[in-house]
Amino acid sequence: MAPGRKGRIIRRTITIALAVALSLAMEISGFLATPADERPEVSYTTLHALVPLVFAACAGVAWHIGPARTPARLMIAFVVTWIPQSFYYVIGGWQWVWPVLRGVDLAWAVVAGILVLVYPKGRLSGRFDLWIAGIAIVSFVVNLLVVVLFAGPDVNPCGCAPNGYQLAEAPLLFAVTDIAYRIIGVGLALVIAGRLLVRWVRASVPARTVAFLMPVALFAWATTLAAQAVAYAVSPASATTAASAPDTVATDTAMVLGTFSLIAIASIPVSFDAGVSHARNMRARVADLMRITREGADRGLWAESLARTLRDASVRVFWWDETRGRYADAAGDPISDEDLGSRAGHSILPVASPLGAPIALIRHDRVLTDNMRLLDGVSSALRLSVDNGRLRSEIERTLEQVRQSRQRIVEAGVEARRRIERDLHDGAQQHLVSLGMQLRLSANAAKAIGDADLAADLERTIVTLNQALRELRELAHGIHPSLLSSGGLALAVPELAGRCPVPVEVEVQGEGRLPELIESTAYFVIAESLANVAKHSWATRAWVRAHVVDGDLVLEVRDNGVGGASIDAGTGMLGIGDRIDAVGGTLSVESPAGAGTTLTVRIPLGEAKWAAAEWGL
Amino acid sequence: MNDARPLRVAVADDALLLREGIAKVLEGGGIEVVASVGTGDELVEAVRGGGIDAAVLDIRMPPTHRDEGVRALETIRASGSTIGVLLLSMYATPEYALRVMQAGSGTGYLLKERVSEPETLVRAIETVASGGSVVDPEVVEQLVKRTRADDPISRLTERERSVLELMAQGYSNGGIAQTLFLGLKTVETHVRSILQKLDLEESPEHHRRVLAVLTLLGER
Repeated sequence: MAPGRKGRIIRRTITIALAVALSLAMEISGFLATPADERPEVSYTTLHALVPLVFAACAGVAWHIGPARTPARLMIAFVVTWIPQSFYYVIGGWQWVWPVLRGVDLAWAVVAGILVLVYPKGRLSGRFDLWIAGIAIVSFVVNLLVVVLFAGPDVNPCGCAPNGYQLAEAPLLFAVTDIAYRIIGVGLALVIAGRLLVRWVRASVPARTVAFLMPVALFAWATTLAAQAVAYAVSPASATTAASAPDTVATDTAMVLGTFSLIAIASIPVSFDAGVSHARNMRARVADLMRITREGADRGLWAESLARTLRDASVRVFWWDETRGRYADAAGDPISDEDLGSRAGHSILPVASPLGAPIALIRHDRVLTDNMRLLDGVSSALRLSVDNGRLRSEIERTLEQVRQSRQRIVEAGVEARRRIERDLHDGAQQHLVSLGMQLRLSANAAKAIGDADLAADLERTIVTLNQALRELRELAHGIHPSLLSSGGLALAVPELAGRCPVPVEVEVQGEGRLPELIESTAYFVIAESLANVAKHSWATRAWVRAHVVDGDLVLEVRDNGVGGASIDAGTGMLGIGDRIDAVGGTLSVESPAGAGTTLTVRIPLGEAKWAAAEWGL
Repeated sequence: MNDARPLRVAVADDALLLREGIAKVLEGGGIEVVASVGTGDELVEAVRGGGIDAAVLDIRMPPTHRDEGVRALETIRASGSTIGVLLLSMYATPEYALRVMQAGSGTGYLLKERVSEPETLVRAIETVASGGSVVDPEVVEQLVKRTRADDPISRLTERERSVLELMAQGYSNGGIAQTLFLGLKTVETHVRSILQKLDLEESPEHHRRVLAVLTLLGER
């Protein structure tokens, strides 16, 4: 865990604990300070005290599920501003304190309203929401000023000290502001509830299933608020306490309303968290879809997971069939007109590549159209999937082309060497042999006519010529061993081993022939390996085996030298690796220090497997 | 060799120049060239026609330029003919020499450049025509040079080694005696000692001895 994260968690825990402690302190001290005959029922007080606890707990959850921090802060603000009416008994004597507290009295309602407004994104979005929040805050500030500057000590139930800030006695201004503030509050609460309801009706089926709590909670609260406001307006004196904060109850009706209101308020943060975490699950499922996409699942499975993600079993996916120029489902059934929208309650989401090439059509329940973010995620996933597939097949195609062209190059190389050797054999070598023969005839003729000097000269020329022939022969053999062409590995490998300065035991299985490219690859691999043995291994013995196993030509070159060879070290090994790669074979080198080297090569015979039959396998 | 009549020889090589050159060299050596062809098949035809004592042929000829000469030899031997067959090759390859020798007696394998040594060529033809075996010294040299573990050759003396090399080339005891300026008895002693040291059986037939020695050299 990052230290930053740990610190944040500690900080948040302390914040929550402090807010809870403050809230409980206010509640308990207020309860104790209230004269016994004026105390509300304990059960009601307990319920009242529980409301901020629920908010505090939900703040912790909101912080945890994030990502926005505003909701949790609002919840904490609610805990702090949830001031019980009875608390005035505690602070009533402090003339500089109680008016301020009385001014921020209904701040919790503003906070709760804004909390509802920021659902679910955690911030205000849209002009309408900003207006509502603005009106609420302005009303709150105006009310605060009026209360602080004009409230008399009689506005509270307790016997308070005179308001230290009071400018003038203005009971009418105070009463009008107080009532207007409450009416605006109730109005705003109803507007917010209405807005939420509209959102809820428009929301997708899955979003509705959980988020219904939110508007219900708000409506319950707004309704009780309205009822209390009406009661307050009709008889401010008797209803003051009930409306300003539902903790002192005058009548049974007010008691019921108050209790209901408390429950409604407490359910706001709970439904907030529930809604957000549900959306989070939804995103997590889109993430699952992405994962499935990345893993390259088949189309049937993809459509299945899409249905699961969208919680819409009626989802169908039709894929664009490039060759036939039409959409068809994973099973290959083409899309019908009926699928294309004549069925009520469905919408079609076309998904195209960034370049505009069609990829697929997703037929889904119409209500999902409201959740564009989810559908965006889905089409991105699909686009990614198709792009991935396209890239993959493109890479595979390119790789196959490269593989084939490399094989062609290697084949051309082998063919070129073979041709050069043959040209040398049929051309230069043949001519030099003829020349030697003619020189011999001339030398004999010279001898016959008694020109011994000329004969001797010609003899020397013949010797030089034969030396040249010998060198040419070696050169031609190095370019391409004719023995390989005519006798295959069974003859060429022993001959090769015979040229190695280290004694080599050869075991080549079978008499038949393999494809030319494979034979020449095997030959040069063995040649280079034996050259390595001779140059680097300090070996006194070497073994070469060539045999066909399960359709692969397996070569093994082993020595009893010093070991320590690796594929990376030295160009010799690299050259061997390149040759083997070109025919799709594999190379492994086992060379522990001091324990010899074993080089194992597998070359697939591929289509050339028939040749293995000739090897008697 | 009985000189009652000259040897009748067929020559096969796809290079016309060389073919004619060989014919000239052979005729200079008192050998009659009765057929001169460019492929193995034509040679087999000519041999089938009869009246031929020996054939000189290139190993690589059309159509595949691989081992047409050896195939022609095998075809000739398969038809029951015992005429001498001398194969010429641009390369001195022991593995090939062995394959050629396995076709039976009256067979020879020489480097092509020996055509500039008329005596060698003529003698080789005479040898194979009379059922003997000829292996190019270059081949034997390569075989002897090969390094092997537990080399039985290392048990031979210097002189025995020279004798062995000549045995491998197809020399008879008499020929070896002549070449090394030794008495026939001495050569026979050496040969017996060599065969004993190399665990080879004394064979009454000359060709089998060549084959055995070559095989030993190739496999050791």
